[in-house]
This record gives sequence, C-alpha cells and structure tokens, in this order.
Amino acid sequence: MLWQQLANGIAIGSVYALISLGLTMVYGILRILHVAHAGIYALGAYVGLFSFKLVGNFWISLMVGMAGAAIAGYLVERFLYTPLLHLPRIAPLIVSIGLFTALEEAFRIVAGPHTLTYNARIGLGDLSIGSFRLTETQILILFITIIILIFLWAFLTKTRTGLAMRACAQDPETTSSFGVNVSAIIAINFIIGSAMAGAAGVLIGVYDNQVWPTMGSIPAYKALAIVVLGGLGNIPGTVLASIVVGLAETFFIGVLAIPFPRDAVAFVAMILVLMFKPYGLLGKA
Amino acid sequence: MTLLEVKALSKEFDGLRALDGVSFAARGGEILGIIGPNGAGKTTLFNIISGIYPPSGGEINFEGKSILRLKPHQVSRLGIGRTFQIVRPFQNLDVEANVMVAFGHRVYPSLWKSAGSVWQPEIQKEVQDLIDRVGLRPHLKQIAKTLPLGFKKRLEIARALALQPRLLLLDEPSAGLRFEESLQLMGLIRQVCDQGIGILLIEHNMHVVMDLCKRIVVLDHGSKIAEGSPEEIRSNPLVIQAYLGKEA
Amino acid sequence: MISGYLITILITILIYAMLAHSLNLITGHAGQISLGHAAFFGIGAYSSAMLYTEAGFPFWISVPLAAVVAGIIGALLGIPCLRVRDDFLAITTMGINFVVEAIFLYIPFFGGAMGIGGINLPKWFGRDMTKPEYFFIILITFGLLLLVDRQLGRSWIGLAWASIREDEQAAGAMGVDVVRFKVLAFILGSAIAGLAGGFYAHFLTFIMPQNFGFGQSIVILCMVVFGGIGTRWGPIIGAVILGILPEISRPIMEYRILIYGVLLLAMMRFQPGGLLGAESILSRTFRR
Ligand SMILES: Nc1ncnc2c1ncn2[C@@H]1O[C@H](COP(=O)(O)OP(=O)(O)O)[C@@H](O)[C@H]1O
Ligand SMILES: [Mg+2]
Repeated sequence: MLWQQLANGIAIGSVYALISLGLTMVYGILRILHVAHAGIYALGAYVGLFSFKLVGNFWISLMVGMAGAAIAGYLVERFLYTPLLHLPRIAPLIVSIGLFTALEEAFRIVAGPHTLTYNARIGLGDLSIGSFRLTETQILILFITIIILIFLWAFLTKTRTGLAMRACAQDPETTSSFGVNVSAIIAINFIIGSAMAGAAGVLIGVYDNQVWPTMGSIPAYKALAIVVLGGLGNIPGTVLASIVVGLAETFFIGVLAIPFPRDAVAFVAMILVLMFKPYGLLGKA
Repeated sequence: MTLLEVKALSKEFDGLRALDGVSFAARGGEILGIIGPNGAGKTTLFNIISGIYPPSGGEINFEGKSILRLKPHQVSRLGIGRTFQIVRPFQNLDVEANVMVAFGHRVYPSLWKSAGSVWQPEIQKEVQDLIDRVGLRPHLKQIAKTLPLGFKKRLEIARALALQPRLLLLDEPSAGLRFEESLQLMGLIRQVCDQGIGILLIEHNMHVVMDLCKRIVVLDHGSKIAEGSPEEIRSNPLVIQAYLGKEA
Repeated sequence: MISGYLITILITILIYAMLAHSLNLITGHAGQISLGHAAFFGIGAYSSAMLYTEAGFPFWISVPLAAVVAGIIGALLGIPCLRVRDDFLAITTMGINFVVEAIFLYIPFFGGAMGIGGINLPKWFGRDMTKPEYFFIILITFGLLLLVDRQLGRSWIGLAWASIREDEQAAGAMGVDVVRFKVLAFILGSAIAGLAGGFYAHFLTFIMPQNFGFGQSIVILCMVVFGGIGTRWGPIIGAVILGILPEISRPIMEYRILIYGVLLLAMMRFQPGGLLGAESILSRTFRR
C-alpha cells in the first residue's frame, strides 16, 4: 500500500516536473510568470492526439506533440513576450493570462467542448509484484521523464549553449558582452521548456486517457505554485518541489482521505513554505 | 562631534565578503570621501547604513544610538538621506511630487495625518524653495523620466534634503556628468555641507575628492586600507597598489 | 418603468465597477499585483450571507460587517504576502483564491457546492426594497467611495502609494513605510471588494463557490486593465464596456471568454496603458 502510493505519487510528480521545469526556466531567464505555459501543455496533448489518430503510433505522436508545443512556445516568445520586456512586469503577466484564456477557448471551438480519448498503447503491459502494481503508462511516464531530465541536465552542464543559458539567467548583460547571442538563447530556452510541456501534455493525455479544452487550467496554477515552492528559477528545486507535491497529493488525499480538494494541496504547501522560507525550498535571497 | 560611527562592519553575500571589519566615524559639517576600486564594497556600505541589508556583523551608531536593526524608512526618518549610484527618481512622477514624497516623513507616522491633503500652501512653498536651491525650478512639473541625467541627480539630492537630514550619503554623484555639470553639483554639495550637514561621498573622480574632502577612507576588497588627508592618501603605497592592481 | 432585465444588468455592472475600482486601489495605485481579488469578493458575499441567514442580522448591518470581515482577512493574508518578492505575490494571491474557493466548496458550514440561499433584498419603510431602489443604494455607496478615492489621490497616502509603485527601495529611503502602506492598500481594496460581495449576495439571493473563483478574478483584472490601470475612471469604464458587451449580442456572449482573453492580450501588447492610460490613443486625442 505504502509502496503503491509512493509510486503513484512519484509518477504524478514527474509529470509536474516536466510542466514546471519549462516555467521555471522561462522565469529564470526572462523573469516572466508564463501562465500560458499550461496552454502550450494542452496544445501538446491535442497535437499529439491528432497525430496519433493519423498514424497510430505513440512514439511518433509524442514527438509531434513536443514539436508542436516547441513551435508554439517559440512564437509566443518572439511575438508576445520579447516586445513587452521593457514594460512593468505586470504587462507580460497579463498578456500571458489573456493568451492562456484565449488558447483554452480556441481548443474548445476547434476541437469541441467534449473530452477526447487518447488510447495509446505501446504493448508493454503492466508490472505487478504481489499487490504492487505499476501501469504501463506509469512506467512510460517515469521512463520518459528520466530520459528528458538526463538530457536537460547534460545540456545545461555539458554544452556551450547550456552553459550560456545558465549564465544568461544569472546576468544577461555580462553574458551578452561575452559575445553570446542572448536572443537566440532565450528562444532555445522557450523551445526546450515548451517541448517538455508538450511531452507532459501527451503523457497526461495517455495516462488519464483524456484530452479536453481546459486540461491546462489546474496544471497552470499548480505548476506556478510548484515553481514558487522550488524557488522561482531554481531547476533542482523545481524537480524536488514537483515530487513533494505529487507525493503530498497522493498521501493526504489517497491515504489519509482528508476531504480537501487535491488541487489546492500545492497552494497550501506553497503558502505554508513561504511563511517560513520566503524564497522557496531551495531558493536564495 | 561624531555623527555616525561605524564599527567593525561586515557583510557577506553567499560566501562573498563584500565588507570586512570596516570602521570609521563621520562628523557634521564635514565631507568624508569614500573611495576604492569597483567592487570594493562602497555601495554595500551605504546600503547597510540606510537599512536595505542587515549587516553580518558590526555596529552602526547615529548620534549615539544604534541604527543596526532599523528599516530603511526608520533610518531616513532619523535624518539620514541618500542618493543612488544608478539614479532612481520616481520615474513617472513630476519633480515636485518626487520631492514631496520625502517631505511626507513628518506625517507618515500617523495614518490619520497621512490621509490629509498634500497640496497645502506651506508645504508647497517649502518644496519649491528646495527645488529652487538645486536649480530645478523651471522643471517643477516635468516628469522625472524625461529629465537629463544631471537633473535627475540633482532631483535625488533635493529629495534627500527634503528629509531634513543631518547626514547625507551620496553615491557617485558626478559619475556620467559633463565637467561643468559636475562642478555645479560639487558647488551644491559644498553648500549643503556648510549648513552643518555631514556628508559621506563616494566618488571616482580623484580631483573632485581631493578638492572637496579633508578626510578620505579607502576601501579595497571590503576592507579599509587607509584613512587620512588627501595628501596622505595620495602618497599611501597601499592605495596606489590597490588602484594599480585593479588596472593590471 | 425600467425592465427587470435592464435593472439586473445595471446592478451587475455597478457591482463589477466597484470591484474593478477596489482592485485598482491595490494594483493600480499601490502597484501590487493581485490575481485573487475574487476571494475577497467571495469572503464579503459569504460573510454577509451567513450573518443574514444564520445570525439573523439585517441587511444594513450584515453588508457593512462583510466589508469589515473582508478587510480583516485581507490584512491577515496581506501581511505575510506583502513581505515576499513581487512575483511571489501574484502567485500567492492566486493561491489564496483557490484555497478560499475550496474552503467554501468543501466545508459544510459554508453550504458546500449547493451554496447559500435565502438571502433577500433589504427591507425599508416596512416593505421590500425594489430593484431600482437597490440600484440607487449601491450607486450612492459607490459615489461616496469615489469621493474617498479622490481624497486619497490627493493625500500623503496616495503619494506614498505612487512612490512604492514606482520604486519600493527608493520609497523606503525617502521615509515611506513600504509594508505598512502596502498593507493599507490591501485592506482597503479587500474591504471594498467585500462590500461589493455583500451587495451581490443580497441581489442574487443565493451564492455558490463558483461565483468567486479564479476566473472571476481575471474578469475583474481584465476590466481594470482594459479601462486603464491606475486611472480613476478607467476601471469603471472597463467594467461598463466589458459588462455590456456580452449583453448586446449573442455571438459575443458565446465567445465571451475568448474575447476577454484576446482583448487582454491585445490591449497589453499594443496599448498597455488601457483606454484611459497616459499614452493611450484616447487620451492623446483628447489632449490635442
Ligand atoms: N545584493 C548583492 N548580492 C550579492 N552580491 C552583491 C550584492 N551587492 C553587492 N554585491 C557584491 O559585493 C561586492 C561589492 O559591491 P559594491 O558595494 O557594489 O561595490 P562598489 O560600490 O564599491 O563598486 C561586489 O563583489 C558585488 O558583486
Ligand atoms: Mg558602487
């Protein structure tokens, strides 16, 4: 029972990590609260689902979903955020909220208000040891998240572009004086973050076997809470906070059966942590 | 009479020692120069005195009382005004309102009085006199962000003077100004000092420092490496090394 | 005689105008981003409803008390929130909205998903107040609030808020007690939202948690931004236009949310000051 909840919590937590990482990376580099990131996540699910209906292969639909999300992320960065960077910080935030709302409505109008099924199987089958059971999609989620996290880590620590990206997050002016093309770095940052959100969208679509217009609503706010918990802009902190929230949700709601909405757990955790650590779990002043 | 006394002041940022056991004293009616290469910790010193950061260790006494745990607004209400190295006027307010904000130090402690109207003739007159004094009278109603840098710097000084301070902290007031502009500004600073206000002046232009200050404190890598008259400082080998070492 | 439909719309718009005005105090005047304003609207509505239906207070007491309760809760939540960094404030206020909605929804004391019913329009002169009369009561209250707002705009408080909005650190160095003035804005804004909530509850006669969710906060924010954040009349005009828009045509009603989203986006992208903002097309035209 305990192990089962642990596995469920970690599976959910890793999807949260995929969504939240893009958000925290965008914040790290542009200092924008990118609420519309969850719209990109839902877009990834829709694009993935439609390509799945066309070709019937999970892996291709995952790739297409990630690519669709990445392109959308790039366009948002170029045409909405970058032109607003000189304005007070509330301006891009409001644009982001507006975009998110509009995206959800666009999904509803284009794909219809009803829930679509995303019935992808890779034929792996579930894993059962005694009463402990990992479903095929849980295995998939854990596997893909781990692969993506390893890639992200290698990219950020081993490649020149990745190092430049981290330097940019620290101090864009100095970095650009070293001849780094900051605007390209920002674009790459968005593309990677959005592709991860797209992957999360596809995975959740398959996990719940559901894709629907407002599937991004709750992740939008939950991911923000997670990112704050992890210390805005802090990548390891975000992964940690994602797992903590995933576990907290499964334990408080699943095990203790507290009559409290699962989706408010992240916010309660965030508010509690902020009272004692105003910069998040791993954040610094 | 000692106005400000700084004892063994230290500040650490994430393991970086920005200030390391700095001590000195400042008197009323005197301009104390604070110099040192970039990154020496000069601005950090001002930020700690004005209550923006808490220090990691040490003491600061103003007129005999500790101001160590005070918040910025409390420090400024006690009579310590400051300007910023990178000018920070209230960009979208006009010159008059910028100075008016600082005049509020008399009413802000009482919420009831704060609800009263700003536009009273006596206060307006005081504000305008002060703006006159820094030579910004023709720009009274101009929005701060449209002012040239030299005027913004004067505006910051006017704003700090509106606090009716006994100590003024000036962070590189002449940086970025043309020669005549900086001469005028120095004239203003001397005038302020002649009224008995103590001034801590961070300045990179050595001519200006040597000309204005009778005493100078030199910081390098967070430590005080010298203190004395301009002549003593000029001939101090440690100071020469600190500056040369930076350039090499 | 004004039709029931028209008066319903008028009262709704007036309540939205009051909400937009109160959010403008926090976000426009004091510069503190709040994404959870509907929480205080809800706290006011629920307080007033509970005081009226459970404790038996008359309307004339329950509604002002609702403002007081919302103001006090605003202070309690505002003090820790306003100490955190500015971006944290946006998310924390959003979180407050979710948690407050969840409390209304999940705690049986507040009626759960069914909400609270049986809240009536007030009585006076020994009879029920009519809707047009109710409209005027709210209008007069709002007029008084606008007078207070005008005085605040001229006062040291208004000046201190402006300085905080421009540059918190510089404001502190000029003797402005930043936390205290921020909390004051939060209290006043929350209290007025609570008052609007009280009026709303007695007008709708039953309230549900969903009336006070995050979506509602965004609608209020949209009105403020659309009309001109930080201006006195902008938020009110925003409330009027965005309130009427869905009523004049069905298609607009259908795609209301989409239109709000695109408007918000386009406004910030091309006209960040809003309709009445200092640099907007409208105010430039009028100045000429
Ligand atoms: N808020 C801060 N966080 C981290 N390091 C800081 C901060 N402020 C200043 N420093 C560091 O402290 C050192 C001294 O800086 P500063 O006081 O600005 O120097 P100066 O004004 O003498 O040029 C520098 O190395 C600077 O990078
Ligand atoms: Mg400096």
